[in-house]
Amino acid sequence: MAALARLLRLASRSLLVIGGIGLTVMTAIIGWQVFARYVLNASPSWSEQASLVLMIWYVSFAAAAGVKEGFHIRISALVNALPDGPRKTIDIGAQLVVALVGLAMAVWGGELITRTWEHVIPTLGIPRGAAYLPLPISGVLITLFALENILEILNPAAAGKTEA
Amino acid sequence: MELAILLGVLTLLLVCGVPVAFSLLGATLVTFFFMDLPAIGVFQRMAGGMSVFSLMAIPFFVFAGELMHRSGIAERLVRVAEAAFGQARGGLGQVDVGASMLFGAVSGSAIASVSAMGSTLMPMMKSRGYDADYAVNVTSTSAICGLLIPPSHNMIIYAAAAGVGVSIGELFVAGIVPGILTGAALMVAAWAVAVKRGYPRGEFPGWMVFLRALIMALPGLMTAIIIVGGVLGGLFTATESSAIAVIYTIAVAAILYRSMGPKAFLEAAIQAVRTTAMVLLIIGAASAFGWTLALLEAPAQLASLITTLTDNPILILLIINLILLILGTFMDMSPLIVITTPIFLPIVAELGMDPVQFGVVMMLNLGIGLVTPPVGSVLFVGSAIGKVPVEETVKTIWPFYGALFVALMAVTYVPAISMGLVNLLR
Repeated sequence: MAALARLLRLASRSLLVIGGIGLTVMTAIIGWQVFARYVLNASPSWSEQASLVLMIWYVSFAAAAGVKEGFHIRISALVNALPDGPRKTIDIGAQLVVALVGLAMAVWGGELITRTWEHVIPTLGIPRGAAYLPLPISGVLITLFALENILEILNPAAAGKTEA
Repeated sequence: MELAILLGVLTLLLVCGVPVAFSLLGATLVTFFFMDLPAIGVFQRMAGGMSVFSLMAIPFFVFAGELMHRSGIAERLVRVAEAAFGQARGGLGQVDVGASMLFGAVSGSAIASVSAMGSTLMPMMKSRGYDADYAVNVTSTSAICGLLIPPSHNMIIYAAAAGVGVSIGELFVAGIVPGILTGAALMVAAWAVAVKRGYPRGEFPGWMVFLRALIMALPGLMTAIIIVGGVLGGLFTATESSAIAVIYTIAVAAILYRSMGPKAFLEAAIQAVRTTAMVLLIIGAASAFGWTLALLEAPAQLASLITTLTDNPILILLIINLILLILGTFMDMSPLIVITTPIFLPIVAELGMDPVQFGVVMMLNLGIGLVTPPVGSVLFVGSAIGKVPVEETVKTIWPFYGALFVALMAVTYVPAISMGLVNLLR
């Protein structure tokens, strides 16, 4: 239990670090695009599409990390006004919804990939489905993180060090 | 029936504290199941909504804002504002609004603005005897100026939602005067509250200090010229100019100010990724939701409802503003831009309003939603930095809401405020 919690925390942090690196690379790609156009007089054909695919990738991963960190914007005032018991129940229900949406994203996001694998993005030469690959991956991660959040709500001590 | 399910499930999920993006996706999925539509369509729309070239400007604008906040560029802007506006009664309130306007001119993100200005100015205000709620109110509401003063990443979302024919460059130009006007209205409100509470008066430090502060801040302020000038001059796309702003900010921070190490850089990047992930996931979810709304013909129904209520253009604009204000209190800005632009833009275009002016109206209107609970991300960040509960700040925020509303009405009913500069360029 505690090991799982630690592992998922580490995973969420790693996803964000990967995102930070992705953003830096994306900055470099677009910077290169401008440099190439004005200085080398040759606009690269791949740069814009490549950084868009990169963005979709790291944004999907970071969005999953957001479920763990709880940074997605939501209305918390109403739930927080409730007494502890009902609040816990509703919080668990909310996490369950997030988990189910994550699962749907994994299943149908996966189907989206198989359907679009035949289409090739011309400027990059990779399948369109590859651009959508992070959707199902992020869906699985979202489900995992949300389920772990539920365990944490049920047993706050387990999130620390003690065995559940 | 389907529409009732879509909206009913959305409301239920939002009220239960499900994050906005997941509420939108959940309600759309349930409606798809009920209508026996293939659920793959939800994620196709979501992926499509996120895969828009111009949206790449969002992470860059937010990143640049985070870097400016961490590298001391924001502080230098505060010093300029302090020298310029500090001598009034409750001078730091004026400084806060002025600095937020300057920050708005170099950054495209209201969240970055409130965190940068809040962490610099709130401690300063508290130490000089200003109440914490006042500090939070002024900082949060004046971050709205940054939505109007170019660059603004929300304007890019609007241009994408409005479709072809709405130029990002024109939107940027159209926001300048409304942004200054909104700032002026907030300065009046900040002054009135300061007089009532008897806050101290500052002193004018002299022209030398002002000029010194201005020169020190100049490298930061150059960002505004690079972005807006680059886009207007047709040198760069909005995405390119925002990426160059990031590179330029890194250069200024690392070489000129020597104020940022690799660790602070990585933290800035990660914070920008957090904000971007939140915003883009919501945009994707809102695209799927908005597409379903359109499938159910909700926009057409709403439009005919409004036009049967009245055919007076003044009233129609008022109704649209009120609907947006109400929606804005419950939902974040970006999904509302994505969902409501296709609904309202045809109606106002029919009335003869320029899509560019409507974009400015929308920025200001939905911007007010960012500082109103229950969902008001800018006010929440402001309260968190000022360490005042949101419930406390909203008790005394009303004069500032008043100022924003007056500005909104002016921008709605006086086209020249937004379009004057644009028409000069057209």
